Amino acid sequence: MNAQKPPFLGFGLGLRPQHYSEILEGSPAVDWFEVLSENYMIEGCQPLRMLDRICERYPVVMHGVSLSIASTAPLDREYLARLKALAARVNPVWISDHLCWTGAHGVNLHDLLPVPYTKEALDHVVDRVSRVQDILGRRLTLENVSSYVTFGQSETTEWEFVSEVANRADCWLLFDVNNVYVSAFNHGFASDDFLNGVPRDRVVQFHVAGHSHEETHLIDTHDHPVCDEVWDFYRAAVAHFGPVSTMIERDDNIPPLAELVDELDHARSIAREVLGPASLAAAE
Amino acid sequence: MSSLKELQESFQRGILAGDDTVLAEIKDSPKEERKVLFGVYRNAYVARLAEVLADDYEQVHAYLGDAGFARLAKSYIAAHPSDRRSARDFGRHVPDFLKTDPGFTAHAEVAEIAALEKALADAFDGPEAGPLSLAALADVAPELWTKLVFTAHPTAHRLTFATNAADIWSALRDESPAPPPRRLPEPQAILVWRQDVTARFRTLGTEEAMMWDEAAAGTRFGVLCEMVATYGGEDGADFRAASYLKDWVDMGSLAGFRFG
Repeated sequence: MNAQKPPFLGFGLGLRPQHYSEILEGSPAVDWFEVLSENYMIEGCQPLRMLDRICERYPVVMHGVSLSIASTAPLDREYLARLKALAARVNPVWISDHLCWTGAHGVNLHDLLPVPYTKEALDHVVDRVSRVQDILGRRLTLENVSSYVTFGQSETTEWEFVSEVANRADCWLLFDVNNVYVSAFNHGFASDDFLNGVPRDRVVQFHVAGHSHEETHLIDTHDHPVCDEVWDFYRAAVAHFGPVSTMIERDDNIPPLAELVDELDHARSIAREVLGPASLAAAE
Repeated sequence: MSSLKELQESFQRGILAGDDTVLAEIKDSPKEERKVLFGVYRNAYVARLAEVLADDYEQVHAYLGDAGFARLAKSYIAAHPSDRRSARDFGRHVPDFLKTDPGFTAHAEVAEIAALEKALADAFDGPEAGPLSLAALADVAPELWTKLVFTAHPTAHRLTFATNAADIWSALRDESPAPPPRRLPEPQAILVWRQDVTARFRTLGTEEAMMWDEAAAGTRFGVLCEMVATYGGEDGADFRAASYLKDWVDMGSLAGFRFG
């Protein structure tokens, strides 16, 4: 298994079909792209042909939404075989998915559902991550999700749970800045506690995104520009973790590419301010 | 305390069936009650799948309007829990659902508009092959023509409509007023396929539809010509068969041929 920490890729965007031609015809100031694995797991589809062309020009990482690593349903070997086949074609710098479950008994709820932070859940997830890594022949990168509920049976904090999974299963972490912010607001913890609670050497990627404000709670909708509070937390995350590959994640109300590139430039300028141009350039 | 498996089952029932048992496992937040917070997951499931349906069935949505489509989405989502990793196939049962749901059975054109949208989307996503070119056919020795067996393009799909759904779909796509629904005097044959990167459809006359169905089933060209002669009269039958064939090649709806 590849033991070396993946390289710092710079500043990337989620690849969305609306932007295919603009990306291929222009040269947007984007260092890399994250692709949604499930959108390309169909042989012979048009999106796959577009993806091949993107892969010729940019580093790509794969991001899944339905591995369902914390589900108590059996591992879906057919899904993993297709994921592995896509990885063989795309040659991603890493493969990520979420520390969550998405359904049981053959049903897919198409959501990133929360896990109770218990020893039982921890043992279960660690075992599944190890098995998935064996099947894929590479380390997995796991993302913290936004959550709206807290389980009475939880025995520990989310960051302690996430850290234990990463350390015991020997996987990487995708630190979703917005998700930490959303969950901290919803559950009343300090986002800095999460930041300081996860192992720095495990974090290989940041997600930065927008959310919706529902007064008593926040919802991780990925349909808004990144708000000032999340940018502030991003600044803190860069200061804490150093140069980490950063991506703007937008899944709905997708604006023209130029708007996302502007947001990405903002992330770049924050990282430059916090780390200094020289150390950022050295990392690149 | 529930096991992880029990907790997930109860959480899932809470989302799919509105069962509140799971709330006993959830705490209120500092600012909100647990029922409202769990509702975020309930609402998201329906909203996400309704959006998938609206994307996949754009003209059904336009035809039914927002309120009508929301009713369809709600009852379809309740009847068909999503059972695939990707939501892209979630709406695959919509045409059949519309044929049998009591709210829609009196409006046969809705199921047919949906069937056309699904066939076009499937054709767009279908595999690549061929297409058969006129140049390849020109190389075939005249004495071998009767033995030609054609292969339909893998994206080709035949539909038969009882209503003017195809006209309604076309008007909606062009953002024109849709013609009133009506039952056709004769069933209408439709061929859907992908040409290059565009999914297309075309209506077929009854003779052409008969010849297409036979050709796609592997009947040799010599027999196809005889069938056309029987169907529409011997006069000019070979010419008619050859014209249909040329149209299909021009359209890119054939992938290749072999000798049978």
